[in-house]
Amino acid sequence: MSMERRDLFKLAGVAAAAAVLPSVAVTTAGAAEIANKASGKTVLVVGGGFGGLTIAKELKKKDKTIDVTVIEKKDIFMACPFSNTYLGGLEGVSLETLTHDFYAPATKHGYNFVQAEVTAIDRKAKTVTTTNGNFTYDILVLSPGIAYDYKGQFPEWSEEKIAHVAHACPAALMPGSEHLALKRQLVDMDDGDVVIVPPAQGKYRCPPAPYERTSMVANYLKEEGIKGKVIVLDTRGGKFSKGAAFQESWKDLYDGIIDYKGFTKVIDVDPAKNEITYLEFTDAASLLEGDPEEAKKHTIKYQVCNLIPNNICSPVIKMAGLETNPAGYALMDGYTLRSKTDKDVYVIGDAVSHGIPPSGHTAIWTAKRAAGQIQAQLAGKSFDPKAGLPVPVGNVCYSMVSGNPEEAIMVTHEFVAHENGMLVGNGNVPKPKDGNGKFRSKGTGKATREWFAGVKRELFM
Amino acid sequence: MERRSFLKMTGASAAAVVISPSLITQRLYAEDGLSLYESYEKVHLKDADGNPLKASTLQPEVNYVFNFPHIATPCILVDLGRPANTNVKLKADDGTEYLFKGGVGKNGSIVAYSAICPHQLTHPTPDDSFFQYLERKGKTLALPNANEAGVFVCSSHLSAFDPVNGGKAIAGPATEGLTQIVLEIDENDELWAVGALGANRFHDYMDAFKPEFKKYYENKRKAKRLVKDEAKVVALKHFTKEIIQY
Ligand SMILES: Cc1cc2nc3c(=O)[nH]c(=O)nc-3n(C[C@H](O)[C@H](O)[C@H](O)COP(=O)(O)OP(=O)(O)OC[C@H]3O[C@@H](n4cnc5c(N)ncnc54)[C@H](O)[C@@H]3O)c2cc1C
Ligand code: FES
Repeated sequence: MSMERRDLFKLAGVAAAAAVLPSVAVTTAGAAEIANKASGKTVLVVGGGFGGLTIAKELKKKDKTIDVTVIEKKDIFMACPFSNTYLGGLEGVSLETLTHDFYAPATKHGYNFVQAEVTAIDRKAKTVTTTNGNFTYDILVLSPGIAYDYKGQFPEWSEEKIAHVAHACPAALMPGSEHLALKRQLVDMDDGDVVIVPPAQGKYRCPPAPYERTSMVANYLKEEGIKGKVIVLDTRGGKFSKGAAFQESWKDLYDGIIDYKGFTKVIDVDPAKNEITYLEFTDAASLLEGDPEEAKKHTIKYQVCNLIPNNICSPVIKMAGLETNPAGYALMDGYTLRSKTDKDVYVIGDAVSHGIPPSGHTAIWTAKRAAGQIQAQLAGKSFDPKAGLPVPVGNVCYSMVSGNPEEAIMVTHEFVAHENGMLVGNGNVPKPKDGNGKFRSKGTGKATREWFAGVKRELFM
Repeated sequence: MERRSFLKMTGASAAAVVISPSLITQRLYAEDGLSLYESYEKVHLKDADGNPLKASTLQPEVNYVFNFPHIATPCILVDLGRPANTNVKLKADDGTEYLFKGGVGKNGSIVAYSAICPHQLTHPTPDDSFFQYLERKGKTLALPNANEAGVFVCSSHLSAFDPVNGGKAIAGPATEGLTQIVLEIDENDELWAVGALGANRFHDYMDAFKPEFKKYYENKRKAKRLVKDEAKVVALKHFTKEIIQY
């Protein structure tokens, strides 16, 4: 399907935006002033990403009398999903494909949208302080996503160095300037290598994303005839999300272009010299031990470097004083999407500590589920946190591996109420019917576009 | 609101004219409070040569496409090869209940549904189709643990719908069921589409796919018009270049 037809529905949103202003009167006045009223049914949503926009719409669909306000620090929505195809230069994929205004869905569904950054949360007073006024709530929903942990991963780097590397080697796991910078660097590059460094450890946003990006950048080098390699400095020894499927495609399509190194530890980046230094270990055990004597040290030149640091949860969760796991993800009240600490605070999307994959698809799923739980709570009813579980396909995720022709691989996750007391996802990487025995197929390539188009309709229609 | 008053009107004319079978259908739904039933001017289903389509010529478990009620809204007609259930109670997302009365044909096995996925509007196009009925012996990732399929599957996000039970959503992210296209069969074994039952997303669909309408139907206004008098029915495999199903 052509991208064109999906792209254009955005234009309708732009037109609507011109006619509408956010309906919450925001002020920058003193701290005591509150911009909205607690009606007994006032829900405040922090974060206008995949989780936040879905739950705002869903709550309004369930009950028009719920008063919903979304607070989002960005002025333009930009999607991370599908952004790798933009980096890969796939036909018809532009910035328009990935972006949208926030006004159209707010107007259509009747929730308030406020562009502001949340700076403090007082759960006792039930107020949220932002750069654009203070707000009160009966129920607070947090969908703030992730943050980067440069400090934890590179403790010896100064603040200045971190800022320098973050700009020179953009991570592009949070949409915005990072993606644009990476795209610009790829467009401007000469012959030479692109280095991609996936997060070294821990839970991170969209487990297949660094490897999809590897495929898409390799596609770009190949299509543009750029003499160079995509060098992946990984820690997972090939055992990553959809690992077998990615590696099959790399072997078939990008032999000699993708150079995957599975047991590395990045120790330094010098953006002034375009150099990255890493230790290369022989296997998983020696990498785990991390004895530099056992490793070979390499310093290599790059044209473009995409350094993706370890992820932690967005600081908004700690700001609310919620109990978290060591990486900052909110501890949950059993199988619910409510925080363990406060029954009036729900957490959805990447910020949960449930064992479900941090994906946009999952964020939407958690948002819809939480909306039902919130509706029940506001009505003074109880709900069954295990309702509908197990879900055979809670998550489906496609990764584009080739641009010409477009081909993708896929994974599905069953969501279950695990005996460890959390929601857990069990993955399955199928070979598609039309793949001739391979993991990738043209049909899944089309499905990748269709998936994304559908998700945009979910958020913006 | 609009719908209700329209139906009141048709109710009134039904009292005056008793012969037309579609008016009987409408009355049938009227007795049920007409919940979520929208009637349209009835449309005669024709085969590729323009002859009336005979119900008995449908091959079992094969997808047939026709457009109804709008020029650009695709529907899928299937002879399920087994009777659909009758009087199945269903619920729309907003809580409205409605009643699926069953299929038509000798065995009550012929049903039609709008082919616009109620989840996020994926639908068959002349280029490709991610949404279709999957025969009973087929396999789908949407129902990994099921022994047999016999369901509509949307492979965009892997939702499944049960055509025997009014198109109820049974798997995946879709919560609302399919919109049933209410059919009638006349004494010559010919099929007519007369209405749509259940919540429908025709409006959202019209908003979402303007560029597509331009490509396939010249423009949006044309795409939005109601189908008049007759609709051509073609096998899905002739309607679309590629059928994609997981
Ligand atoms: C390259 C890439 C590819 C991906 N591909 C896929 C894919 O194919 N399929 C898939 O399902 N998922 C994919 N994902 C994952 C998906 O993007 C995330 O899982 C999803 O966005 C999580 O939703 P969320 O609501 O938790 O966070 P987000 O969507 O990130 O939303 C969080 C929002 O909160 C806002 N915010 C944060 N702090 C504050 C504050 N203090 N005040 C106000 N606002 C704040 C942020 O600006 C942001 O808009 C991909 C991600 C990446 C990076
Ligand atoms: S559009 Fe059909 S399952 Fe999502």
